[in-house]
Amino acid sequence: MITIKELEHLAVLSRIELAEEDKKSLIKEFDSILAYVDQLKKVKVSTAAEDRVGAVKNVSRRDLAEPISKEDRDRLMAEAPEMVGEFVAVKKIIEQD
Amino acid sequence: MKINLKDLTILKAHEALKRGDFTAVELTQAYLDEIKKKNKDVNAYLEVFDVAIESAKAADKIIKSGKGGMLTGIPCGIKDNILIQGQIASAASNILQKYRAPYDATVTSRLKAEGVVFLGRTNMDEFAMGGSTENSAYGVTKNPLDLNRVAGGSSGGSAAAVAMDGALFALGSDTGGSIRQPASFCGVVGLKPTYGAVSRYGVMAMGSSLDQIGPIGKTVSDCEIVFNAIRGKDIKDGTTIDEQTYKYQISNIKYQSGDRKPTIGVPRHFLGGDGIDKSVMEAFEKSLVQFKEKGYEIKEVKLPNISYALMVYYIVMPAEVSSNMARYDGMRFGLHVDGKDGIEDYFKTRKAGLGREVIRRILLGTYVLSSGYYDAYYNRANAVRRMITNDFLKAFESVDLIATPTAPSPAFKIGEKTSDPLSMYLEDIFTVTANITGMPAISVPCGFAKKDGKDLPIGLQLTATHGAEETIFRAGKEFLGSE
Repeated sequence: MITIKELEHLAVLSRIELAEEDKKSLIKEFDSILAYVDQLKKVKVSTAAEDRVGAVKNVSRRDLAEPISKEDRDRLMAEAPEMVGEFVAVKKIIEQD
Repeated sequence: MKINLKDLTILKAHEALKRGDFTAVELTQAYLDEIKKKNKDVNAYLEVFDVAIESAKAADKIIKSGKGGMLTGIPCGIKDNILIQGQIASAASNILQKYRAPYDATVTSRLKAEGVVFLGRTNMDEFAMGGSTENSAYGVTKNPLDLNRVAGGSSGGSAAAVAMDGALFALGSDTGGSIRQPASFCGVVGLKPTYGAVSRYGVMAMGSSLDQIGPIGKTVSDCEIVFNAIRGKDIKDGTTIDEQTYKYQISNIKYQSGDRKPTIGVPRHFLGGDGIDKSVMEAFEKSLVQFKEKGYEIKEVKLPNISYALMVYYIVMPAEVSSNMARYDGMRFGLHVDGKDGIEDYFKTRKAGLGREVIRRILLGTYVLSSGYYDAYYNRANAVRRMITNDFLKAFESVDLIATPTAPSPAFKIGEKTSDPLSMYLEDIFTVTANITGMPAISVPCGFAKKDGKDLPIGLQLTATHGAEETIFRAGKEFLGSE
């Protein structure tokens, strides 16, 4: 049902490198899971799709920078794999002409 | 003195600590000794904390001053996806092998405020994805009652820790049955509270519309005590509920109006499948007879769409997984594997850091959410989810509880289901409904199956309407005949 090309595309979208030897078995597993969930297509849907559970509503916080203590900040920053000075270091993504 | 851990409950330990029969340090040491003896075989704990004795000392001071509460000095295990400041929290994944929690989860700080002693972090399926703890990057957790079998999952380490007397209680997380199924396999009690009853701040998200934190303990009362300590509105988790949220549903529960016992509904039409082990159905039927003898009314209920619950789950859950797992990018925290440019860093890091089941679910989620499939899968699943919830709400107009087995079989053998993900997924058939509907559900031990000369526990699941944990506790306590 799902082709190797589709699987590779999903992997690109998901930012995961797949090992060549895993692709075949992943496709097999995908197909068996999709065949199972495809049974949902038979259901006569009577209510409108509603994407929230129970009485819980979406809550947004105010769009404000909250102050954070130096200790908290240091603990969070300590988890970054690479730092330059006070900043998290990442690779350059914009090329200069 | 020698403390008899086998018969100990939170209630009993609390009384003994108050009387001075033993100290929190002695109690903690007794558990540490037991862990030392058994953990090399069971692998329930990924790490035992050096600071446990120190916090027991602090608890003893509080107890001596007379200010101790029910949980002061009580030793517990914490699932490896719940943050304790300063401790590693790896979610049993390579990608977080060295991740040290920068802050406490709300459940952690609430237990700390009670003076609970954290013994260590318990093993799990990587990022809580699995039903057997075989997906841990740090080795499988074995069932303490039969080391050839799994402890269940994904909170397998938490359930095994309690079952092997390696903790008085443990916290787990439950997205599709991950507290209740291991509790069932290990012969202990596990509660998945109402969605939003317990804050998830500081807990690693898997399926955000499904996840709940809950207790695993030896008795229903113990789970109730822990639940009451960790529940409640939290400003840091916008999905938490308060007393008012489900007031209407709770006020509608029938048995409260009179003195009669709750009515238990049984969805017979859902229990006939041949995928259910005979021993499980026998124990289940016996449980219903026991309830009848205790004065409960047993009634058949129809849940017309319940057979779709697992399909809904295996669309909604991977969809949410695929977005939640996007945060593991190798840049801000966790493992980093260097590639030739920024985007290759992602690919290499995630390949090296994430296990097969996690990758499978991310890909599946990406698939069902992709343009062209979104309506057919994700939107449809959400609509059916609403239909299933409505079925349950309707059923709860005439019954107070709904009973099913917790899992279709007792603990299976290690390796038995690893090659076929779908058969592993079918393990969740009875438990996912509570996550789909957001309703609370408990697993209590209800009998044993004789397999290969060993007695393997079987679990009974009781579900109630939103916010009605009280009803579950009452029935669970009466069923087990405990305080």
